[in-house]
Amino acid sequence: MASPIRILTAVPICDGHDSAINTINLEFIRHGIEVVYLGYHRSVGDIVRAAIQEDVRAIGISSYNGGHIEFFAEVIALLRKRGANDIKVFGGGGGTITHEDAAAMERKGVDNIFFAGTSLTEMTDYVRKHYGKPRGKRSRPKSPDQELAHKLTAIEDAYTAGRKRSTRNAQSKIRNPQGVHPPRRAIRNTKVIGFTGPGGAGKTTLIDELVLRFLNRSPKGRIAILSHDPSVIGEGALLGDRATMINSQNDRVFMRSMATRGQAGGLSPATHDCLTLLARSGFDYVIIETVGTGQEAMPFQKNGIVDQTVLVMNPDYGSRLQLQKIVMLDLADIVVVNKSDLQRARTAHTEIEQRLEQNRRNQRLIDTVAKRHRDPGADELFELISRGSK
Amino acid sequence: MSKLGQVVESIEKYNKFVLDQVKRARTDEEFGRGLLGRWNDIKAKIPATRTPTGLPLPRLALPEIDEAGEIARYLFGEGLPGEFPFLNGAYREMYLEPIREIQSFEKDGEPPQRPARPPLPQAEEPTRLFSGLMLAEDTNERFHYLTQHQRTHRLSTAFDGPTLYGIDSDADGVFGKIGEGGVAIDTVEDMVRLYDGFDLGSPNFSASMTISGPAPIIMAMYIAAAKRRFGPKVVPKLRGTIQADIFKEVQAQNETIFPIEASLRFLTDMVEFTTQEMPRWYPISISGYHIGEAGSTPVQQAAYTLSNGFAYAEMFAARGIPVDQFGPRLSFFLDCGLDVEYIALARVSRRIWAIGMRDVFGAGPRAQLFKLHTQTSGRSLIAAEFKNNLTRTAAELILAYMNATNSCHSNSADEPFTTPSEEWIRLAAHGQAILLEESGIFKHTMNMLSGSPGMKAVERSVETAILDEFREIERLGGVLAAVEDRYQRSQIQNAAHRYEQQIYDGIRPIIGLNRYRNGAEDVPEVKLVRTPRKKQQLQVDRLAKFKKKNAEKAKLALDKLADVVERGENCFPILLEAVEVCSLGQITGRLQEVVGRFRPMV
Repeated sequence: MASPIRILTAVPICDGHDSAINTINLEFIRHGIEVVYLGYHRSVGDIVRAAIQEDVRAIGISSYNGGHIEFFAEVIALLRKRGANDIKVFGGGGGTITHEDAAAMERKGVDNIFFAGTSLTEMTDYVRKHYGKPRGKRSRPKSPDQELAHKLTAIEDAYTAGRKRSTRNAQSKIRNPQGVHPPRRAIRNTKVIGFTGPGGAGKTTLIDELVLRFLNRSPKGRIAILSHDPSVIGEGALLGDRATMINSQNDRVFMRSMATRGQAGGLSPATHDCLTLLARSGFDYVIIETVGTGQEAMPFQKNGIVDQTVLVMNPDYGSRLQLQKIVMLDLADIVVVNKSDLQRARTAHTEIEQRLEQNRRNQRLIDTVAKRHRDPGADELFELISRGSK
Repeated sequence: MSKLGQVVESIEKYNKFVLDQVKRARTDEEFGRGLLGRWNDIKAKIPATRTPTGLPLPRLALPEIDEAGEIARYLFGEGLPGEFPFLNGAYREMYLEPIREIQSFEKDGEPPQRPARPPLPQAEEPTRLFSGLMLAEDTNERFHYLTQHQRTHRLSTAFDGPTLYGIDSDADGVFGKIGEGGVAIDTVEDMVRLYDGFDLGSPNFSASMTISGPAPIIMAMYIAAAKRRFGPKVVPKLRGTIQADIFKEVQAQNETIFPIEASLRFLTDMVEFTTQEMPRWYPISISGYHIGEAGSTPVQQAAYTLSNGFAYAEMFAARGIPVDQFGPRLSFFLDCGLDVEYIALARVSRRIWAIGMRDVFGAGPRAQLFKLHTQTSGRSLIAAEFKNNLTRTAAELILAYMNATNSCHSNSADEPFTTPSEEWIRLAAHGQAILLEESGIFKHTMNMLSGSPGMKAVERSVETAILDEFREIERLGGVLAAVEDRYQRSQIQNAAHRYEQQIYDGIRPIIGLNRYRNGAEDVPEVKLVRTPRKKQQLQVDRLAKFKKKNAEKAKLALDKLADVVERGENCFPILLEAVEVCSLGQITGRLQEVVGRFRPMV
């Protein structure tokens, strides 16, 4: 089976018109396309960096605030400069992009502009027809990040095509993925941290806050994020974490969004191999984030390549009895009660504290309000993670 | 219970009060007689007018009732124009022309006598046209063009994308956006150029600025520009409005640059300053327009706008600003489309606001007024057979004035394509003049179209639906909690999706699009207004010069600003100093270092 088409969608800088793109994204994923959504008000640099790291087939830009001729041209110019000529660009902007504009944009390398009145079906068909063919031989990567991105794609494709099969537990043992060789540069002391927890607990926001602290603390350090979102019926997926992670759109952050592609448990069949590769690629930290998980999920254990595990909880987990059933509470090194400004948070803290004491594993419990700038709880978590040795 | 919950109770209580008064008028003879007496008195005092054809008409039309209970229902439930609860209008006479001399039409064949002097235009034209393009001097030229025939100069300013997002014209990747869709403002020097030639301290001048995320910084630039031109004494004389509506940005328009709580704090800092130092300024325009344009239903638009308004009132009161000081400085901005709710949406909103402000916030008469600017719906305009947009806008204008809006912007028919061009702007402005000056619909008689059974049915239905929305927001913990929960955002997106689906399914007819298509080429010849690269480069060069000139002073000013923000003091006075030497982007950037950036809700 061929891999789903991966594309990136975004709205240009100084443009908040996200209603069209939201509708289009949903239509794409319903038709088996994996969409990495970057959000609105996004710069050329952010878009191109994300497209290369995510190794998408094409970028779809929805522009309603003018300046589209320059903006699209700058995206294409930067893609070329970075050696990513194989990433195509298409877009639309209702009535704001005229036929004349579109002709000028196409001369500058844009594949296609959709005009007002184009049906969603036409757009989906276009993407499938033009970006769905198997890739030809790939040109030489121009940067380590691009090389890494290409290799991650190769791993994902191998799994989806059935050339490789998923081991039941992604962390069972470290294997050198076939055909994927870690970069030859010196392996640094990379620390791998796993984040899991129920959907809506604030994992993504919390990780982004940690990234901000890391970038401020370590002026030359690099960090990688492997983020997961579920594939929906129809096999598409909305990979939307980048839209929330405003601080992680940075040259010192390598981020890759993966769809679960049919595997339960919060990770993708290709996760283990991708993570192994990232862990050997010279980053200071590699953060892996699962999809929102339920009670039984046990996405990673410490005997694998994950050095430290963080469970992010929402204070609204239900009754005390529900708490007893959460398997990850026994395994996580650090448990975070996020949204600790909510009324229920104090009770949650007490109940979880009790639950952890029973484990006698010296697990840490931290309260955070990730949405708050300079949250002391997020500071504490950052210190804990950066202090703890590998 | 939050203040919003109390507002719901106050409306229910008031509605019950009206019913009680009706009952009392029918059972308590003396009370009933008193009401009849008052009613006859009101009727006797209504001045008469004559139309150009000589037809006599009263300047205020009242329902034909002579029974005490019905009189009570009208006077307490609706109120005369200009009287609580203001259903029929915030003011007594609104758009009425001055009383005509009674002319003789009786002698056959003789032309009517010309009045000694032509009737004066009304005190202030309600027309306020939104514009902004290219660089400050280009917009300035447009402002002068628009106001050349107007006695009062009411300017409405649109800013370009970089300005709306608080970044500078030299920022990465924004070059093509400079001066697109609005005017580019980076520094106080641009602000000086923008309003050049207008007397900012004159009672006949007012400036409206449509900007929210960086509103306090832009406000500070406006004040600084005015001081540069007219000295410090001009400040208390400044008249105008700045949008500064953070809630609706988060709910609908996505132009938020600081986290919500920090944004609200900067806003309150500004409001505290302007209510004290600039008594004629409207420091916030609580806007449903963008909520409507983002796809909400009319009821959602009114409900979210009003609840946002009550939340701001609660916030300003909590800062210690007296309600009678900030209340009269709040203004509202609604969308007017073609759905039937628009027959009465603003009427109902005005009533809810007045009752809530009086009974929950203890506001005096001036702080109860829902002062409204309306804009016809941009979303209702389409590219296909775009000249139909003239008719759409005309119908919307009638609805807007039926709601007794205080001022109005009519959209240009070429809006689906570009920043409106002069030809279509002129037609849009003339549309209003034709309606208000040429036609007799609104100039002779107040209440000309109020109170029809259909309108009343819409009023009742809309009010009930708005209160239901209030209850839902209250259940979620109030406006701020609901906003952080993405409640309004999701509701709006859902409604937008349904609207598009209805167009697609043909349930919602759009002439020229899903009905009566003529099959011709959809994109017409419209002359596009685009900012030339040379001008964009000029803006970047000017900014570089400004930054170079002020480099050292800017650093000091930014440090001082950051310090005050860290300490939690009102930062507006320091902003006023900072804008003298810092650009918009420099200030935004420094503030974001202290309070963080807004994380989009997706």
